Amino acid sequence: MAKRVHAVLIPAALVMVAPFAWQIVTSLKTLSEATQVPPSLLPSGRWENYGRMFDLLPFGDQFLNTVLMAVGRTAGQVLLCSMAAYAFARLRFPFKNVIFGVFLSVLMVPPQLFVIPQYQIMADLGWLNSIQALIVPGLFSAFGVFLLRQFFMSLPKELEEAARLDGAGPVRVYWSIMLPLARPGLVALAVLVLLWSWNDLFWPLVVNTDPEKMTLSAGLASLQGQFQTDYPVLMAGSLLASLPVIAVFVFLQRQFIQGIAHTGIKG
Amino acid sequence: MRKWTRVGAGVFGAIVALSACSSGTGSGAGTQAPKEASGPVTLSYAVWDANQKPVMEELAAEFSKANPTVKVQVQLTPWADYWTKLKAAATGGAAPDVFWMNGPNFQLYASNGVIRPIEEQVDASVYPKPLVDLYTYQGKLYGLPKDMDTIGVWYNKTLFDAAGVPYPKDGWTWTDFQQAAAKLTDAGKGVYGTAAQLGSFQEYQYNTITQAGGYVISPDGRKSGYDDPKTIAGLKFWTDLITAKHSPDLKTMTDTTPLQLFEAGKIAMYWGGSWNVTEFSGNDYTKDKVDVAPLPKGEKQATIIHGVANVMSAKTAHPAEAWSFVKFLGSKQAADLLGKKGPIPAYTGTQGDWVGAHPEFKLQTFLDAVSYAAPFPVSKNTAAWNEAELTQLTKAWTGEVPVEQAAATLAATMNDLLAKE
Amino acid sequence: MTLTTTRSGAAHAAPVKGKDRSRRSEALWGLAFIAPTGLGLAVFYLWPVLQTAYFSLTEWGAFGGHTWTGFDNYLRLAGDPEVGQALRNTLLYTALGLAAIPLAIVFAALLNVKGLRGVGAYRTLFFLPVVTMPVAIAMVWRWLYNGDYGLINHLLALVGLDGPNWVSDPATALYALVVVGVWSSLGYNLIIFLAGMQAIPKEYYEAAAIDGAGPIRQFFKVTVPLLSPTAFFVSVVSVIGSLQLFDLVYVMSGSGAAARANPAFPRLQTVVQLFYDRAFVTNDRGYAAAIVMMLLVIIIALTVLQFRLQRRWVHYG
Repeated sequence: MAKRVHAVLIPAALVMVAPFAWQIVTSLKTLSEATQVPPSLLPSGRWENYGRMFDLLPFGDQFLNTVLMAVGRTAGQVLLCSMAAYAFARLRFPFKNVIFGVFLSVLMVPPQLFVIPQYQIMADLGWLNSIQALIVPGLFSAFGVFLLRQFFMSLPKELEEAARLDGAGPVRVYWSIMLPLARPGLVALAVLVLLWSWNDLFWPLVVNTDPEKMTLSAGLASLQGQFQTDYPVLMAGSLLASLPVIAVFVFLQRQFIQGIAHTGIKG
Repeated sequence: MRKWTRVGAGVFGAIVALSACSSGTGSGAGTQAPKEASGPVTLSYAVWDANQKPVMEELAAEFSKANPTVKVQVQLTPWADYWTKLKAAATGGAAPDVFWMNGPNFQLYASNGVIRPIEEQVDASVYPKPLVDLYTYQGKLYGLPKDMDTIGVWYNKTLFDAAGVPYPKDGWTWTDFQQAAAKLTDAGKGVYGTAAQLGSFQEYQYNTITQAGGYVISPDGRKSGYDDPKTIAGLKFWTDLITAKHSPDLKTMTDTTPLQLFEAGKIAMYWGGSWNVTEFSGNDYTKDKVDVAPLPKGEKQATIIHGVANVMSAKTAHPAEAWSFVKFLGSKQAADLLGKKGPIPAYTGTQGDWVGAHPEFKLQTFLDAVSYAAPFPVSKNTAAWNEAELTQLTKAWTGEVPVEQAAATLAATMNDLLAKE
Repeated sequence: MTLTTTRSGAAHAAPVKGKDRSRRSEALWGLAFIAPTGLGLAVFYLWPVLQTAYFSLTEWGAFGGHTWTGFDNYLRLAGDPEVGQALRNTLLYTALGLAAIPLAIVFAALLNVKGLRGVGAYRTLFFLPVVTMPVAIAMVWRWLYNGDYGLINHLLALVGLDGPNWVSDPATALYALVVVGVWSSLGYNLIIFLAGMQAIPKEYYEAAAIDGAGPIRQFFKVTVPLLSPTAFFVSVVSVIGSLQLFDLVYVMSGSGAAARANPAFPRLQTVVQLFYDRAFVTNDRGYAAAIVMMLLVIIIALTVLQFRLQRRWVHYG
């Protein structure tokens, strides 16, 4: 049985990995080598393709912008969404269900619907081509609120009630009791936001067009505009741009996979 | 009432000046009221080419030496976003004082009153006439040409030698070109004589259309030329090469663009601009294998000429200073400096340094071409029919519809668009 | 017990006013907690929806300003062949993506086989594309798909086949794109199905085994029905995601003028890509707003349809 299963899984795994392997091989070739027929499996080791990335793009700046955007959005969403989620899960306040319904309605709307007005807001604030333009609209997430609310609701109430009886106010209950309990949920959200922000293309492409203010995904896309089909350079660039998040994934694999699995838990 | 307008203008001017030098150093200079022309003035100057930014800054410094009260701040916006950003700025009334303009966009800006016509009498005969015409709208000149580019045939000497084909000569014809393409094609090695690129009309279709005696747009800018049989002959020049398999088909050129095919030694003759010299002299493969020849003659000899011009914002707070800067940029002194480090200067007689920079290529070819150069086809809303050109002609390039039919559809679409202008 | 009574006694000692105050304070805190996200969503999400709806009824000038044109944009939309084609492409992509979901169930089931070794390694490999930047994925696949020099055609040539220009040939481009979409989302769906399978109580399998069902029969009789709520979730997410496809196709079709010179471009362009072009390239923002309003209607309609249909195939245990 196990043998037959491996007989299916091994070729499938190869299909998953082969593109990455070919990407690495090509990234070390010259254009002439890459267009050789039949192809050579071993490249001549043209490391300049990687070096060229730093000449062609303000790669360091773009890396930093992407880190700032991903970290800023993640930290902001974890804090703001958990606050709102806690309130929706545990506190009583007027129009709670109506407001929650309004929050949820944002989830139903495709994000492209927000883009033109958001762009106008950024232009009016003079924020085009700025870090805050990358971060600010991404601080608020109906999805994050929803995910964490489900999580808070699944937590036992005893600890919280005991703290309340000890006279702790909502802020202390939230900060000292609920947040530590909700850690797995917060990590799940953080991992997802980090991943989505890093790989996000549409908004950064639209709002930051100055190469020094671009994110890696937009910078990489612009590289194609300049270099069309110089594949070795494109392969080196795409590897450099996607490597950081792949590295984080390898270290935090469990959290990533649990984070994704969380989105699938019906609620 | 008048007082209020003046206060308003003053505040507005201050805002413009402030935003112009917001990232600069001397913020004190910017807060001066616009009317006080004697005080220090900062002009913003928008450009799109990162390679040319240093030269532009040098030119700005040179200008400030002669005009100590005027500082120029060079603002780089990359090509991909230049027009979007400029449009947004012009919409908000905050366009840069002086900026680069190109042919396809010029009439849109002129007809909407975004740029200021030149009022002083200038001697325009020092620039190629097609460029002066390109930046003239309703009889008024709006910009002074800064640089220029023409088209040539870049060819791979190694492939010519291998196929035993003599290098292209001055005065060669379409037939010579077609025969050379046939001989240079080696299907077994995946080598093609040439590549009938579709995505860049400036280097391809516009040239052959003119050479065939056709036209893209009527001189009054009202009518499309795509239904003219001679124009169609200019298009067929390329589609015939694809049919004969002396050029890769469109699918292949999409997967790997002609430029890369040329740089990988798969294309023997590549139609390219004078600007390609930077690319080909820097590329490891092409730097010692290629050279350049004039475009072959059809019914007549022709190349498309284009060039960037410096224009002034209609709403600049410093019209006098902006004009003196534009005038300086259009001078021989500026052209001499530009020719050493940038593209071909437009000012006649200043191009020697540019040619001398790369003795390995026959760059004089591009200058000789000026004598038979044709203007870049434009209208008020060039972008609209540029999109139609691609959409319709793609079908002819793939062979999905005959060239005549695609051209007829294109002419009809283009005429509709022109009628709306 | 006694402790509790004293405590509540103490609470009662404070008059009703105190309880009111704590209620009010809780309400105030509740509102304060939701305020940052609430305001942010209002400014950056809710208000923009209304603005986009309004923009869809206007026309934008070359140098700013927009004028009210009523339903002109929608009329233009109805007669625009480019919109029709983009819509067909997007719907076909969505349908094919949906059809590939069973693939994820099969692989999840294989990984769920008891005592299988190397599950962790397999899971990592399948998951790798999920964390990789879509722009990078698209570039790599565009290269793999290259007609003359791509790895896929090199491999086909080994067995004597002459592969097409996968993403530049109108006949194959969309299917080639679907393959990339399926490849890159397989890991995501697989993880969710795996979590769903692990939540199925073992007793069901034991009961099935007692009835003499082998692993294949168990899969169809136990796993598939009990997994249907998960499958429903995955299909809803997949449809919404596919309808908004942008990143992959933006890179695979080539951008700018190069894209329109791609013979397969008309077969590749998605609704969101067309929206991007109209909103931020040609600056036809009123029309772009109408395009994206159309997308909203389609997404809502298809989601409602899926919820209606779920009664027929989803089993809630």
